[in-house]
Amino acid sequence: MIRKLIVPIALSLLVLGFWAEPDLQEIAAGVAIFLFGMMMLEDGFKLFSGGLLEKILAKATASIPRALGFGMLTTTLMQSSSLVTLVTISFLSAGLITLTAGVAIIFGANIGTTTGAWLVAGFGLKVDIAAYAMPMLAFAVVLVFQSSKYMRGVGLVLAGMGFLFLGIHYMKEGFEGFQEQFDLNRFALPGLLGLIIYTLIGAVMTVVMQSSHATMVIIITALATGQISYENALALAIGSNIGTTVTAMIGALTANYQGRRLALAHLIFNLATAVVALVLIVPLVQAVDTLSAAVGIAQEDYALKLAVFHTIFNLLGVGMMLPVLSRLIRFLEHRIAAPRSDTASPIYLTDATDDFPEVAEEAMRKELGHLMQNAETLIAKGLNLDLAALKTAPDIAAVVEASQSPVGLDYDLAYDQQIKPLHAAIVEFASRVGLGDKGAPEAILQRIHDMRDGAGRVVRAVKAVKHLRGNATRYTARDQGATTVLYNAIRAEIARMLVEMDKVRNEEPDRRSALWLDEERVQAKRAYKDTIHVTEALIRDGSLSAAEATSLINDSQYGYEAIKDMIEACKRLHTETETGVDEVERILSLDEDETEEMAMATRRGDD
Amino acid sequence: MGLGKSIGKLDDYYERLAQNKAGKIEPDHVDKVLGKLRVKEDALKTEIAETLKVSKKERLEAKLDVVQKQIQRGEWLREQIEADRAET
Repeated sequence: MIRKLIVPIALSLLVLGFWAEPDLQEIAAGVAIFLFGMMMLEDGFKLFSGGLLEKILAKATASIPRALGFGMLTTTLMQSSSLVTLVTISFLSAGLITLTAGVAIIFGANIGTTTGAWLVAGFGLKVDIAAYAMPMLAFAVVLVFQSSKYMRGVGLVLAGMGFLFLGIHYMKEGFEGFQEQFDLNRFALPGLLGLIIYTLIGAVMTVVMQSSHATMVIIITALATGQISYENALALAIGSNIGTTVTAMIGALTANYQGRRLALAHLIFNLATAVVALVLIVPLVQAVDTLSAAVGIAQEDYALKLAVFHTIFNLLGVGMMLPVLSRLIRFLEHRIAAPRSDTASPIYLTDATDDFPEVAEEAMRKELGHLMQNAETLIAKGLNLDLAALKTAPDIAAVVEASQSPVGLDYDLAYDQQIKPLHAAIVEFASRVGLGDKGAPEAILQRIHDMRDGAGRVVRAVKAVKHLRGNATRYTARDQGATTVLYNAIRAEIARMLVEMDKVRNEEPDRRSALWLDEERVQAKRAYKDTIHVTEALIRDGSLSAAEATSLINDSQYGYEAIKDMIEACKRLHTETETGVDEVERILSLDEDETEEMAMATRRGDD
Repeated sequence: MGLGKSIGKLDDYYERLAQNKAGKIEPDHVDKVLGKLRVKEDALKTEIAETLKVSKKERLEAKLDVVQKQIQRGEWLREQIEADRAET
């Protein structure tokens, strides 16, 4: 109900304000143009994703100082700590960076965002900024209509900056006009009350505009035109740091537990910094005066002094939080626990990860890996096998033969809980990424599509083992001669496939190849052919009844199909992504006919 | 040497390359994949040497045979890419 009223109330207040004070229109238009510029800047930088942005971020977060520096640099360039925060949440959700690196980037972003205040106070208010905006916008329009994605990106960034400048210009003009009619300074509140009220106002302004940068620009322009007192401007700046945490909180709503941890870190950092700044306001103001005098800032240049204050208190926050970073990480991990590993909620696929193609691909790869691990465990249990024991066994056939006790398992329920939700999430995510107009490279979209296909194969494999499970349990719980031997052979082939997939998974990416699994598939095909051959021979000599033989032939088929599908899914998971190398892998990979041909040409062993 | 469907797959690759639907293969791309196949070849050889059980040894030898065929195909592919490079 309240939500529905917000927009009409906001519009009514604007109409009332514009009617009462025409200069307010110019200020509001300035804010609107500024925010529009920020949106264009964000869209422009997003066009550089699908490669550049992700690669830089992935490399730049190897250590805390590097992550901190990266947060500072990117926020300075993009002039949006919100964008950097949202990108960081998406990277963290996709599992591409650690929580520590993510928190360090956020700390850096808070320092980087202070450059905005310097830009406006030192440049925006002292020169005719609109004169720069006009040619920038003209150049931007030419570039925005180019077919190249990166040219469009440059155009949008240029247009974004042009609109930022134009917005600052209109805000300044508006406040100057406003000053002639109306003096906001009469609302100035000195002392503690003023500090608290203006901090709250700063926070609310930032929540409404979703940008601490925009709030700072308004504060500085209002301060420069004498509409607010220096003391109240300091409180507004502190409030803007609190308000900006809401953007991260909203971004984290669609993120996974890691994204939520980061948003909480952002909140703790900004709140702690704000509290310390409020408590130490007197010595901080003295430090600003001393530092300003030392670097030659005029005593009356409150706009620049505000920029100094903004920088000092954010640096103070980082300086205060860095020594307790590891404690903060432990608190976050304790406060927002990771989902239990046996639950089947998607871990990596969240709304926060599908904005950037390479992040989406990596999230998809990790989620497919998650699905496969759940499937491997279920398949092993379904065949009454202990996967952990198989992985360390020197003689797989012997372990399988000894595994006679049925594992208590509701296979359908386990499928519904551990496989189906992940498969559904993967299909939904792939469709969303495929449909979205995000300029994702064709190769990435193809690999995402292939991984969705791989997830479908995993589901088929699990279902094939479901069909096989009844007879496999029935004929291997106690020795029933040749039938038991043949069912154990089927189980052993599947067990070997599970172990081989684990080996590929645990090998270093620059040493392993999806092609390794072709050898296992050839062996599985050969074993399947052997089982059929032996079964037919046993029917002929009367050792097997027609019913037993039919079950064996069908179950051998299920077994082989399960192996084939799991291997194909695994190949999609570990496929080469480097251009050219992916083509080599495609040419050398064996298809079904080649697998059959090689299977017939190779000899068979039992283990 | 059994090339299986490699020739057809290479033709398909050249067709897609002409349509700008495939990335160009360079000799070092083939070397990279060959290197990974040789890692597996070495691992299998080591495992064979350490295995006493006859049936397991036979199975590993069959796997080694497959990986060696893939290596042969990779070497053939490298020659084709080199020849194509020399022509252009």
